Amino acid sequence: MRRELRAEWTKLRTEPGAGWLLTALAVLTAAAGAAVCASVTCPAAGCGHDTVRLALAGVQVGQAVAAVLAVLVAGGEYGTGMIRTTLTAMPRRGAVLAAKGAVLTGVTLPAAVLAVLGSLLAGRLVLPGRGFTAAHGHPPLSLADGPTLRAAAGSVLYLALVALLSLGIAFAVRDTAAAIGAVLGLLYASAVLPLMVGDPDWQLVLWRLSPSNAGLSVQATVNLDGLPLGPWAGLGVLVAWTAAALAGGGLLLRVRDA
Amino acid sequence: MAPPRDAPAADRALACDVMETTIEVAGLRKRYGPTLALDGMTFTVTPGRVTGFVGPNGAGKSTTMRVVLGLDAADEGAALVGGRPYRSLRDPLRHVGALLDAGALQPSRTGRNHLLWLAHSQGLGVRRVDEVIDLVGLGPAARRRAGGYSLGMRQRLGIAAALLGDPPILMLDEPFNGLDPEGMVWIRRLLGSLAAEGRAVLVSSHLMSELEDTAGHVVVVGRGRVVADAAVADLIAAASRDRVTLRTSDRAAAMTVLAGVGAAVTVSDRDTVTVSGVPAERVVGLLNAGGVPFSEVAAHRATLEEAYMELTRDAVEFRAASGGAAR
Amino acid sequence: MRAGGPSAPGGFGRMTRAEWTKFRTVRGWVAGMAAAALVTVLLGLMSAAGSHTSCGGPDDTCPVPPVGPGGEAVDDHFFFAHRPMTGDGSLTARVTSMTGKVRVPDRVPGARRLDARLVPWAKAGLVVKDGVRQGSTYAAVMVTGGHGVRMQHDFTQDTAGLPGGVSAGSPRWLRLDRKGQEITGYESADGRRWTEVGRARLPGLPDTAEIGLFAASPGDLTVTRADFGGSIEQVRFSETTAVFDRVELSGRVAAGAWRRDDIGVTTEADGVTPHHPGGFQESGGTYTVTGVGDIGPVVDGPRPENTLTGVVIALIVVIVVAVVFVTAEYRRGLVRVTLLASPRRGHALAAKAVVIAAVTFAAGLAATAATVSLGTGLLRGNGAVLLPVSGEAQVRLIGGVALMMAATAVLALGLGALLRRGPAAITAGIAVVVVPHLLATASFLPDEAARWLLRLTPAAGFAIQQSIPEYPQVLANYVPSAGFYPLAPWAGLAVLCGYAGLVLVLAVIRLNRRDA
Repeated sequence: MRRELRAEWTKLRTEPGAGWLLTALAVLTAAAGAAVCASVTCPAAGCGHDTVRLALAGVQVGQAVAAVLAVLVAGGEYGTGMIRTTLTAMPRRGAVLAAKGAVLTGVTLPAAVLAVLGSLLAGRLVLPGRGFTAAHGHPPLSLADGPTLRAAAGSVLYLALVALLSLGIAFAVRDTAAAIGAVLGLLYASAVLPLMVGDPDWQLVLWRLSPSNAGLSVQATVNLDGLPLGPWAGLGVLVAWTAAALAGGGLLLRVRDA
Repeated sequence: MAPPRDAPAADRALACDVMETTIEVAGLRKRYGPTLALDGMTFTVTPGRVTGFVGPNGAGKSTTMRVVLGLDAADEGAALVGGRPYRSLRDPLRHVGALLDAGALQPSRTGRNHLLWLAHSQGLGVRRVDEVIDLVGLGPAARRRAGGYSLGMRQRLGIAAALLGDPPILMLDEPFNGLDPEGMVWIRRLLGSLAAEGRAVLVSSHLMSELEDTAGHVVVVGRGRVVADAAVADLIAAASRDRVTLRTSDRAAAMTVLAGVGAAVTVSDRDTVTVSGVPAERVVGLLNAGGVPFSEVAAHRATLEEAYMELTRDAVEFRAASGGAAR
Repeated sequence: MRAGGPSAPGGFGRMTRAEWTKFRTVRGWVAGMAAAALVTVLLGLMSAAGSHTSCGGPDDTCPVPPVGPGGEAVDDHFFFAHRPMTGDGSLTARVTSMTGKVRVPDRVPGARRLDARLVPWAKAGLVVKDGVRQGSTYAAVMVTGGHGVRMQHDFTQDTAGLPGGVSAGSPRWLRLDRKGQEITGYESADGRRWTEVGRARLPGLPDTAEIGLFAASPGDLTVTRADFGGSIEQVRFSETTAVFDRVELSGRVAAGAWRRDDIGVTTEADGVTPHHPGGFQESGGTYTVTGVGDIGPVVDGPRPENTLTGVVIALIVVIVVAVVFVTAEYRRGLVRVTLLASPRRGHALAAKAVVIAAVTFAAGLAATAATVSLGTGLLRGNGAVLLPVSGEAQVRLIGGVALMMAATAVLALGLGALLRRGPAAITAGIAVVVVPHLLATASFLPDEAARWLLRLTPAAGFAIQQSIPEYPQVLANYVPSAGFYPLAPWAGLAVLCGYAGLVLVLAVIRLNRRDA
């Protein structure tokens, strides 16, 4: 396993796009969060906005970058045929998947930490200027606040989980274009699916099943009772999706011809 | 376009054809970052014969072809096909047929459909597609996904694409790659007959031996420029000059005698040496005088490969380290 | 000579044909387009089939709103004190007071609590109307709760007069003048110097029309965000009372008293007692009119575009196919073969764009036409009363959404040619078209942010599906999540097309500059 890890780390480190994507993950997340914060105003007390969620809204954009990185790590090898070289050099396919997952997590986590810290910082700087002041019931964002810390840590985990989910899907689909379409479809389309059905019971079921809706409930800091799922339970839904994708991708990798 | 009245019809047609069937490359220069890929590449390909385009890997053959075909832009110089830049041609595949990379395919499309879209782009019909499929012997495989083709089948499909517009000019980059011996024979015959029809045929290769029986003329390139541009016969003659092959049972004695008069002697076999710098009659005289036994003295006929090695010795960019270092 | 000139015609047409051959001979791409159409239809029908509307009542059917002269669904609910007038004539009156009440949640069950305030679009004034049938043609000049004097006619038309309200200290004079089919509204502060507020032509107004005093007050709207997606709208009952004096009728008016009609009033469960009735009192030249309701177009309710919710997901598939249509060539070096066949690179890319646009449009059109016609049928079957839209709006919805899908495909194709890498281009395409729309309409974002997204990003193109326009004179929850886009339909589509064109031009420039 150590050799697989080293090999995958060398591969990722020498892939020129990876550094750019990780930078983009951090920058786009923070920038999108700042843009959202800048477009909202709170003229009086009780605007009803969840400021932590507003500041972390960029994760909706950043998750796409994390997905692309993950899909390239796996699917890119299928595009070039390098997967055959990889599997010739490292015939233990399960170990290859595990190594890729570990390396991917290893690089996504620091980028996600930067993305989340950048978002919170941007929110802290921008929001008071838009009327989200302590006088209006919105104290400045701070990691010392328990729910904020949970939302921040949860968002970091969310991004890493999205990367792993994408890795599993990419190994199952084996084509970068199709995989990226599938992952983004799953993340974004499932988010709106609950709005498409009229039946409230089905709405609730679909909401709870959707990896992005449920997963991002970890960002909520106000009105927690109104959420269909608690913050950590919601992230648990994404964990389940990720585990299923990795298991499926791993199984297909083992049983199929390379 | 109205022809001038006094020009005889036959002459005019010929002039037209000659102009339409030349590739002119003049002073091409192209730099990729620090690498000078083309350094004043200049040559002309004339119709009616197969011109070999040879040189070691990285000598600039493919780059030259891409510049001629308007895919890459040269920093300096001009490349014309039929007297015009490729990118100004209408229905270019009716003027120039090219095979650059046989792998340039959509794997999920069948070979026949690959030819079909190309045909449509030139205003050609499905009949021509089936003609070229027969011509290259792709047969029933044409209706299978191109992704499943062997290297040889891809080469045939690529050649079919090049022949699609029945062009007077053909440019084939390494067409022998991946062909089995039967395929080699087939393509040599095909190229010969295409040239015999009056077409200009430029065939690149990094293996001179592949071209020996095919090309009447070669353009040898190295480090981005032309090293030699000559008929194959002349090249071989030049490389054979002042060389004698000597078969002897006493190699050591023969080498001693010949080295004494300043001849360069190289061992080519257990009982064969190649002598250069001394004419054959003198060799016979010296051996007789020295009492060295020999069974054969003959003027050496160089292979095209040797001529090529001679020419490109300085031009090779990467050469395997000689001796025991690389073990 | 076989060579043609560099500008010889025919090359582009041939290249387009070649690209079409390329497209149709890759089964995955054809299947992808079919899948996009199928996703549109299936998701649309699924959401239509799953949406049941019930309005209570004995037979559980929803009331069908009246239809105005323009064919749109309208609210036509007001208190009307009127007299028939034949031919030309005019009505003048002074409004000396206008007050209002809004019902607020009960503290003690059964005990009504009312706030004394006027809602901004409470209206009272003079109206001439074709009888008392709901939805009939009318023209009115009025004082409003918060928008000054207005001249309105035929539900959708609204012209602003001078701002300001009414009080005992500063009464306002109004006059409605009829000459044939032309109605002119005037206002005055003193009854001597008159200012024209607006003019209306009512082609359907008969020779004898009802003219008189009216009052109406639309419900008080509050919107709260739902916990997960969407918003909750609450409408509270409100009424307004206006006092008129110096009422003067000139023209051929039938003798007798003012007739009173509480037009459009609903009844309680017993079917007799009016629910929130209006009223009219006359004493010594002073007339007090109390009214509930509104005269204007209906903007809330199920609409035909509600069946097209699947389009946004189908677009993901469209983007993947369009991107791969070009990046697959880069992956295998096939692009060189394409450029050998068509050395004018702009033509090669334009031909690709034409093919992908045409294919997407055809697939999209089939899908939208099927979805809208079948889906609206399903919705009606499930008890929904769809807001009627004009034939033109229907065509714009079906054809426009197909155009929007085609423009998105061209944008994705351009991104593919520009970035040359499938995953990057697909992500970019989804990120600029699908994601902004999802974020804006799924209530993830505040409404202001959502509107900016739908103005600035290519997702603005979704505006083409809005069949019911926004009316400034009707207070409603005009937010993207309720299907109201910040740009007009064609303007939104133009933004998307602009992006597609820009990206395509950049791609051509890059293609021409770089070695293939």
